Amino acid sequence: MKQILVIAEIFKGRIRPVTWELVAGARKIAAILSQTRNIPGKHLPCIQIIVPSDNPKPLAEKISEQTGNAVIGLQIPGFKTYTSDIYIDCLGQLIREMTPTHILAAHTSQGRDFAPGLALELNAASISGINHIRFDETGLFYSRPVLDNTKNMLVRPDPDRPVMLTLMPGVFKPDSHKKGKTKQVDILKISFGSDACENSRIQPTKILKRPCENQALKGAKIIVAAGRGVEKKENLELISRFADCFSSSAVGASRPLVDMGWIGYEHQVGITGTIVAPEVYIACGISGSSQHIAGMKDTKCVISINKNPTAPIFRHSDICITADVLEFIHAFLTLPDPV
Amino acid sequence: MKILVCIKQVGDDGDMNRFDAHALEEALFIKEHSDNTMPEPVSVDIVTAGPSTAEKIIRRAFGMGADRGFHIVTENSDYISSFVTAFGLSAVAKKTSYDLILTGIMSEDMMAGQTGPMMAKILNLPCATGVIKIFLPLTGKTIKVEREMENGFRDGLVILLPAVLTIQAGINTPRYPCLSNMLSANRKQILSLSSEDLFWEPIRARESCIGMEDPEKARTGRVLEGSVADKAAQLFSFLREKNLI
Ligand SMILES: Cc1cc2nc3c(=O)[nH]c(=O)nc-3n(C[C@H](O)[C@H](O)[C@H](O)COP(=O)(O)OP(=O)(O)OC[C@H]3O[C@@H](n4cnc5c(N)ncnc54)[C@H](O)[C@@H]3O)c2cc1C
Repeated sequence: MKQILVIAEIFKGRIRPVTWELVAGARKIAAILSQTRNIPGKHLPCIQIIVPSDNPKPLAEKISEQTGNAVIGLQIPGFKTYTSDIYIDCLGQLIREMTPTHILAAHTSQGRDFAPGLALELNAASISGINHIRFDETGLFYSRPVLDNTKNMLVRPDPDRPVMLTLMPGVFKPDSHKKGKTKQVDILKISFGSDACENSRIQPTKILKRPCENQALKGAKIIVAAGRGVEKKENLELISRFADCFSSSAVGASRPLVDMGWIGYEHQVGITGTIVAPEVYIACGISGSSQHIAGMKDTKCVISINKNPTAPIFRHSDICITADVLEFIHAFLTLPDPV
Repeated sequence: MKILVCIKQVGDDGDMNRFDAHALEEALFIKEHSDNTMPEPVSVDIVTAGPSTAEKIIRRAFGMGADRGFHIVTENSDYISSFVTAFGLSAVAKKTSYDLILTGIMSEDMMAGQTGPMMAKILNLPCATGVIKIFLPLTGKTIKVEREMENGFRDGLVILLPAVLTIQAGINTPRYPCLSNMLSANRKQILSLSSEDLFWEPIRARESCIGMEDPEKARTGRVLEGSVADKAAQLFSFLREKNLI
């Protein structure tokens, strides 16, 4: 029987929640296949979730319990921390013996790191950063953001080989109520040399956490966030004055401002910064990249100021203000008080 | 020590992909800070796969300080698969035994982030993506780096050379091309190759682009009308209604 394989994402010995999104994506693919391929006598692919670990049993059982899907605990002796070397080799050994149609991983720092190499190892097609799973009469195809998130590109893999897909986190909603009966858990041992960590060309030393004091961002009702559209470091002063208009506010920023050293990392909103959900988020000169949106999409009300009327941020906004952000804030600060 | 940096031309202005500029800067920085600690001098080559207009970014790379430039001249096409690009770049990389191959974490146009890790697989080299720090000076057979993960986490790694690293923004500030380099850049020869020079038979993509779409709206988006002052006043009353100001 053919399989739709999901590579669970494990970080520091724990299952990361994006794993449930991958299962949702796999179910969507399975549903489309059952809808479109009504070929009698042919089996539909089944979903199997793979958990790599040196001791996969507890993780595998937990995933099986949560999803009701079949789980393979991939036991790698000596495996401690993720490296692409170990993943590509061991997952390659395992999956080569299977007949998958689809292999799903998360489009995260981990999935992006091993998926392209694993695809080549398996002679598979490879499509990264998927935000929609679709189909037409020819079969499945996938959409992925391109051109600074201004467009979605539709991509179809060759039908005659498996396809490795990485799914954008936060897009596919985990369906918790769809729990099946607890299915089979298999533990398979695959070695990467005699000791996985020693044999790897990549030696993990330690996992570090960048200190970030983000309580101000987390606690604020209103976040005024600056992007590259503020043009100069000095203009951040104006952003602060804008934020000071509100009683409970904090200043956020897009990543490039932090990278350029204009503002501290503790202000960065996004997937590699802080995830926030204030009552109001005012995006000032921010284009709306998927990595930034992922950090503020649960905001109650999003207000955007951008001089480009087609900026992607406007698709994620409740109030859209097309204007030069500096001019706009000046106008706001000099409003005659209507009281 | 020989370093290869893979760069790409992107956007309407035909500039160097921002992440690749960070990769090139890092290579040049390594050269400047490891020349005395490495057994042999450090050289920095660049390679790009792209249409003839991509010459512009090769000249820019020379201006920044790159030593040799390779150009795989491709047709002007809307879609080029990372898979095909990775094979082309790897074929060039194989001609010289590089100790370190750097490229950006992704391109700003296709945003796939696959070329680097695919090259590593083709060349059978270890690979780390999203590198945000390289520890200098380099001294020998390994390289110590930090790879960026989500939510402020970083992965410290020691990697056996030769290796492929993809570089994340924030690692450095790319330099501007300097005038003296720019002048000699114009005299420097670009080593042009076609895919026929590199392969017996064309490498075929394993996927195809079947269309482009505008992304759907995640929120309704009320557009404020009027002059800038009108818009400011409207925002003020909106926030006042919500008791936020
Ligand atoms: C792995 C990875 C992780 C990342 N993590 C994050 C993250 O956590 N957070 C994050 O923010 N980014 C992150 N990024 C970067 C992200 O891809 C974008 O590059 C970044 O978010 C863009 O920032 P920006 O919107 O400020 O700049 P730009 O994309 O350059 O947008 C500037 C905007 O300002 C507008 N503008 C210009 N001038 C004016 C003006 N005078 N008035 C009004 N508007 C103006 C422009 O129209 C444009 O829309 C990450 C990238 C990668 C690859």
